[in-house]
Amino acid sequence: MADKLNQILQKQQQQIHQPDKADEDIIQLVGFIIGDEEYAIPILNIVEIIKPIEFTRVPSVPEYVLGVFNIRGSVIPLIDLRRKFNLTPMNNTGDTRYIVMKGEDNTAGFVIDRLTEAIRIKANRIDPAPDSVGGDKGMIYGIGKREDSMLTILKVESLLKRDF
Amino acid sequence: MDEIQEILEDFLVEAFELIEQLDQDLVELDTRPEDLKLLNSIFRVAHTIKGSSSFLSFDILTKLTHHMEDVLNKARKGELKLNEDIMDVVLESIDMMKTLLHCIRDNGNDTAIGMDLDDIITRLEAVSEGKEIPEGSEEVVKEEPKEIKEPEKEVSEADYAKMSDDEVEAEIERLLSEKKAEAKKKRAARESKAAKEPAKSAATPNATPTKSAPPAKKQATTLEQTIRVEVSRLDHLMNLIGELVLGKNRLLKIYDDVEERYEGEKFLEELNQVVSAISLVTTDLQIAVMKTRMLPIAKVFNKFPRMIRDLSRDLGKGIELQISGEETELDKSIVEEIGDPLVHIIRNSCDHGIEDGETREQWGKSKTGLIELKAYNEGNSIVIEITDDGKGLDADLLRSKAIEKGMISEQEADSMSDKEAFALIFRPAFSMAAKVTNVSGRGVGMDVVKTNIEKLNGIIEIDSEVGKGTSIKMKIPLTLAIIQALIVGAQEEYYAIPLASVSETVRISLDEIYTVEGRNVLRLRDEVLLLVRLSDIFGVKQVYEPGEYAYVVVIGLAEAKLGLIVDTFIGQEETVIKSMGDYLQGINGIAGATIRGDGGVTLIVDIASLMDMAKGLKVNIRESMQSKNKVKTKPEDYTILIVDDSKMDRTIMKKSIDPIGIKIIEATNGQEALTMLKSGEHDIDIMLIDIEMPRMDGYTLATEIRKYSRYKNLPLIAVTSRTSKADRLRGVESGMTEYITKPYSPEYLENVVRKNTKLIAE
Repeated sequence: MADKLNQILQKQQQQIHQPDKADEDIIQLVGFIIGDEEYAIPILNIVEIIKPIEFTRVPSVPEYVLGVFNIRGSVIPLIDLRRKFNLTPMNNTGDTRYIVMKGEDNTAGFVIDRLTEAIRIKANRIDPAPDSVGGDKGMIYGIGKREDSMLTILKVESLLKRDF
Repeated sequence: MDEIQEILEDFLVEAFELIEQLDQDLVELDTRPEDLKLLNSIFRVAHTIKGSSSFLSFDILTKLTHHMEDVLNKARKGELKLNEDIMDVVLESIDMMKTLLHCIRDNGNDTAIGMDLDDIITRLEAVSEGKEIPEGSEEVVKEEPKEIKEPEKEVSEADYAKMSDDEVEAEIERLLSEKKAEAKKKRAARESKAAKEPAKSAATPNATPTKSAPPAKKQATTLEQTIRVEVSRLDHLMNLIGELVLGKNRLLKIYDDVEERYEGEKFLEELNQVVSAISLVTTDLQIAVMKTRMLPIAKVFNKFPRMIRDLSRDLGKGIELQISGEETELDKSIVEEIGDPLVHIIRNSCDHGIEDGETREQWGKSKTGLIELKAYNEGNSIVIEITDDGKGLDADLLRSKAIEKGMISEQEADSMSDKEAFALIFRPAFSMAAKVTNVSGRGVGMDVVKTNIEKLNGIIEIDSEVGKGTSIKMKIPLTLAIIQALIVGAQEEYYAIPLASVSETVRISLDEIYTVEGRNVLRLRDEVLLLVRLSDIFGVKQVYEPGEYAYVVVIGLAEAKLGLIVDTFIGQEETVIKSMGDYLQGINGIAGATIRGDGGVTLIVDIASLMDMAKGLKVNIRESMQSKNKVKTKPEDYTILIVDDSKMDRTIMKKSIDPIGIKIIEATNGQEALTMLKSGEHDIDIMLIDIEMPRMDGYTLATEIRKYSRYKNLPLIAVTSRTSKADRLRGVESGMTEYITKPYSPEYLENVVRKNTKLIAE
């Protein structure tokens, strides 16, 4: 009996570990467009993606903080990534979405122009951010190389960090 | 070790509770020295603490309580007559006992602070023998041991240090059994709920003192069934209720909408019942949970009789304290904050307010001063009033003192009302005392009062008359978690102002706004208020056409007041403060956010930082509000918006109104027109609206526009070929100002536009 149990347990352990090994160097991302560029963030940082809803303006904050909005009873800030990236602001279109991202101790919504797709990319296909734009303060985690394009992977923690 | 720790904790909890009772009893005893019941109860406390502390081997505490007990025992048996001097010694020793208990709580032993007991013990001994009280620490007359070993003394009072091991063991056993008996008795008392006579009297003299009949009042408190609950659990419960309240608000709002849409439907009745029931239960639940956090203010008030007694002895003045409303309840967190301010105010009243007996008699007042401490509920706030019948505050003296200290300029002093002058006492480092005593005069106390009350979003009002006395009134919200708020509109934004900070709302005309040194002020009755626009503080875009009136919310915090100009009043709502997360923490002027009935977020203003922000603001409101009005004198200043989907119709209209010289802009449908209007890009003065249009028709457009209070008076002129009476009626219903049917003569249209913009042709 005990042996059987052990066997089953071992099997389970293997099952748990195996896909892990296969997935180890694959990172899942969600891609989206801001301006002309495609960016991506790790899927695990995303709480949800919603269509634009009403928000409330907050005084004495930088322009890129549009305000706060209510998502199922919590009040969270809304940040316009176009403004944050110093692009000309644009009115919402039918494709505009809010991506709600969660970091270690902060949650915020980000306005993006449109979503592209869920992306699986191997870790060895991601190059670290170039020194000139990187550093500790940079918002870029790395550059993902794909067959036909480049992908800027953003650092969620630094997006969620208050810098004013 | 854990067990000991547990016993120790129990001991401390019990001891502090006992001491609180003791203080009250002792002061009462002062007035009724013959009351045997009181004496018994006091003796019992001293004895219990002695017993427990010796069990836990706190030798210093044991020694002290032991000698106290001596004195009290004699008094109880009538061998000693209590007088003021004896009371002083007893009270002092109780203070030392408290210090020791605090020391035990903090350090786990009573030796850490190294208290010297010789002096007090000498005096206690002297008192107990009926001798004169020796001043300071003289040589101790070593007669005491004999005294203690007198046969009438109880075994428990023997000197533990001199006991053999066996005796100590026996003593411990006795104490344990005593405790057990006590616990049993408590249980019995609860079960039977009957008043108990002291069952054991002569038979077991050893145990008698601890088991003498407690006073009736004490018994009532032991009968209450209570459980200790962690505050964090109550906080969590309160948060959940907060969510529920928001849900309820939402439900009410949705019900209103549904009611409008399905008027007369049968299911509405049922829905109404359910919604009402839920809203009622939620409110009850909220009150019930709030009550679990409520404590009677007696908890704070109780320490004042003793304080007044001490102060009146120290200062050599006769002072009487009258307390009323001590049963008034308020939130635990507030009770904790309110103690210090009250101490400072009362000390001030005693030191500066109440005059000495002679002066009082000269003024024709009774020799003893009177301080009244009153608490009562007023709406959603609690009011605490401290009134003394002392010499009162002299506004002129305060002004000159403040000038002398360079706190205000002479000019400021001149424009100050008496009330504002009284408020000077709350400034830091402001003291009227000629010399610093250990009671007051450092100019710190009243500043503490102000800071603490500010923290609670409370309001302080101070009133005084020279020779008659001073009255300080503090208004504090009952609870901090769920607050009533006034929702106001500032331009396009809405804000919630905590209602506890709102003292009134007024409508003023622009002529009533004066400018003093570049600041806007309003004279409201006998006060001069600084006036700011909420939209200026928060930098909201000015899109709203100012009218001839301004709406002012008078907000008060601690002693300060401010007039806040808003554009609209929305109403009163129950709000729950939600944090906006770390990302938006600590934004100036914003305390948090709340979710409104429609699911939208409204920011709650932080009154304290709002007041600070207002001070730095220099916008000439009157000018900026008038300049906008002035601009529109010539036809070119006016803008007309033509909304029609047919290009030909627009051209005809343009041709008709061209002679006026007014600026013309166009929109092709209702949706576009609304966006143009709301964007604030054009300052539109009049609109011509076609009824039949794609995307949004004229009726809907008019209805939408009228939803904005700032467009309440915008002339909307329907220009349409629909001529039926029903259509006209619908036009009126949707908020059209005029209804023109096609075809029309160009002159007619021109005249209508002129009439509605008041641009009459010369």
